[in-house]
Amino acid sequence: MTASTVAPPTPKTAPSSSPSTSDREPAQRPRGIFWHRVQRVLRSVWKPISIFIPVFILATFFTFLLGAVSGRSPAALQLGDSATPDAVAALNHQFGLDQPFFVRYFDWLGTLLSGNFGNSWVSGVPVAKLLGDRAVVSLSVAGLALLIGLVFGFILGAVAAHFQTRWPDRVITTGTTVISVLPPFVVGIALIAVFAIWLRWLPAVGFVPITKGFWPWASHLILPAVALSFDTVSDVARQLRTGLVSVYRENYVIGATVRGIGPRRVFWVHVLRNGVGPALSVLGLKFPALLGGAVLIESIFGLAGYGVFAAQSAVSGDVPSVQAVLVISVVLVVVFNLLVNVVLNRLIPSAARGV
Amino acid sequence: MIKTLWKLRSTKIAAAMLLFIALITIVGPFVAPYDPLATSSQALAAPSASHWLGTDYLGRDVLSRILAGAPLSVGSTVLVAVIALLVGAIPGILSVYLRAGFEWVSLRVVDTFIALPFLVFAVAMTALLGNGIIQAMIAVGLLVSPLFYRVARSATLSVANSQYVEAAVLAGASTGYIVRKHVWSKVLPPIAISLATTLGLGLIVISSLQFLGIGVQPPTPTWGGILASDLGYLQQQPYAPIYPTALILITVLAFNLLADAIRDAAGESGRILIGSKGAQANRARRLAAVSSDYPEKEAA
Repeated sequence: MTASTVAPPTPKTAPSSSPSTSDREPAQRPRGIFWHRVQRVLRSVWKPISIFIPVFILATFFTFLLGAVSGRSPAALQLGDSATPDAVAALNHQFGLDQPFFVRYFDWLGTLLSGNFGNSWVSGVPVAKLLGDRAVVSLSVAGLALLIGLVFGFILGAVAAHFQTRWPDRVITTGTTVISVLPPFVVGIALIAVFAIWLRWLPAVGFVPITKGFWPWASHLILPAVALSFDTVSDVARQLRTGLVSVYRENYVIGATVRGIGPRRVFWVHVLRNGVGPALSVLGLKFPALLGGAVLIESIFGLAGYGVFAAQSAVSGDVPSVQAVLVISVVLVVVFNLLVNVVLNRLIPSAARGV
Repeated sequence: MIKTLWKLRSTKIAAAMLLFIALITIVGPFVAPYDPLATSSQALAAPSASHWLGTDYLGRDVLSRILAGAPLSVGSTVLVAVIALLVGAIPGILSVYLRAGFEWVSLRVVDTFIALPFLVFAVAMTALLGNGIIQAMIAVGLLVSPLFYRVARSATLSVANSQYVEAAVLAGASTGYIVRKHVWSKVLPPIAISLATTLGLGLIVISSLQFLGIGVQPPTPTWGGILASDLGYLQQQPYAPIYPTALILITVLAFNLLADAIRDAAGESGRILIGSKGAQANRARRLAAVSSDYPEKEAA
């Protein structure tokens, strides 16, 4: 029920917002509401993009710098200590490492944009090939965790706000505070101990592709996803509670009640739409932590995801593989934040003016 | 301010917990009953009189390992917080005064650091730069520093643009007096709050790295590492992870309590207060104000 929490207000956006916006800018009326809305989405995408482009460039620069500073080279990995200087030079030339730093950086950036992550220094196989299968594992875990975080975070936050200062609120507020300080590896171990070893309901480790059936796939994903989602659930719940509680005190909510609008409609139309902002933006901020936590969760639950891959490649010094994972995660964060921004601007148009 | 803080019950609880952890960290390695690396034939033994917390899969004494791992876990957390404080707070304060270019660049860098998936970068940085505890501390410290940058910057901004500082300057107050009386009291509490938060967060991140086996070599005992090895033997010893977990949680909880207490004592709690905690803080603040008013008036 709450998965659709974000959606219901959107259809109502059209009748309520179109008169007010066309009052402000009457020139747009002839071109129609459709064009106006497209423009608004474009505008809400453009502003964050102008912030995210420097972020993206800096992040890729850091990533590349990290590889350069580390002093790792394919020659040391493939040829060992007894390599002749000629062989080292030949291999460095093959990987383009004899070029100056900035030439290499822009070359690398160019190949990135065409979707090529280079070849692994350890095995010589294209990194994209190595990452392909692992991305499926990681994205299913992180995606499921995000879904759980959204659904339960919204339910808990809404319930807490509805019963504010009474016992359900206290239970939820205390519970989410406790949960938020639990490190993911503690949650993971506890879940394995209870559900896999004690109750024997779910498998503790491994991953089964969805082609082998839905239940085997889901049963392997539930525990990792739940462990990963704890942090998101508590943050979304707390932010939503704070947002909703402050909106409940606004005069227009009292006004709506006085006009005889039922409590359910007041909640869905008046309160939720205006109070959801902080929860949504915290979701955008939380996303990097979700991707980062995946490293730990994958290692606990024995999943061959990209986090474990990054850790292994980093230890062995396979710079292109590490860089590929870092760049992919940065891109995911940026794209997800753009999406959050678009949704936020659709729900609360006044937020667009303040970005 | 410290007097107010001390009157709060949560401060006392947090201080007691931190004292316990500090004791373990400083004295622990010397009082450990066994060599943390010495193996014995009793593998996976249950807690007994000779091994208070039992033994692990190689027959090593768990209590000794936990005590020996404390400096690496807690000590490096403290250093992480110090690094983050230095790297974050100084540019944060400077960004207010060295306008334009520096401000723009530092803000963009901080934006980037916040957008990076934290743990992935910490793992990659530590492992690529040499996989030692020093590298781990630098990597985590750098990645946490934006918190201090933002807090220090916003506090400094609000003081620098405030009318009471302007008024104090006009009234002929010396810079030293203004810093002591106005700037310090405004900038210090938020930084203290983030320091306490960072200490808790830092322990979690450092333990996570140790759990993954990053930044530390295998036989060395650390709290995160002990957890990782316990994970493989959950079937035989489902209670084993409780000890390191309890220590990590006590430390994190104590630092969070401390952060909340500082926030309450400084009157900065923006949250909606349920129960008596806020009222308690207010009363303590009032009492401190009354008791400190008299000596000040006499001095003036």
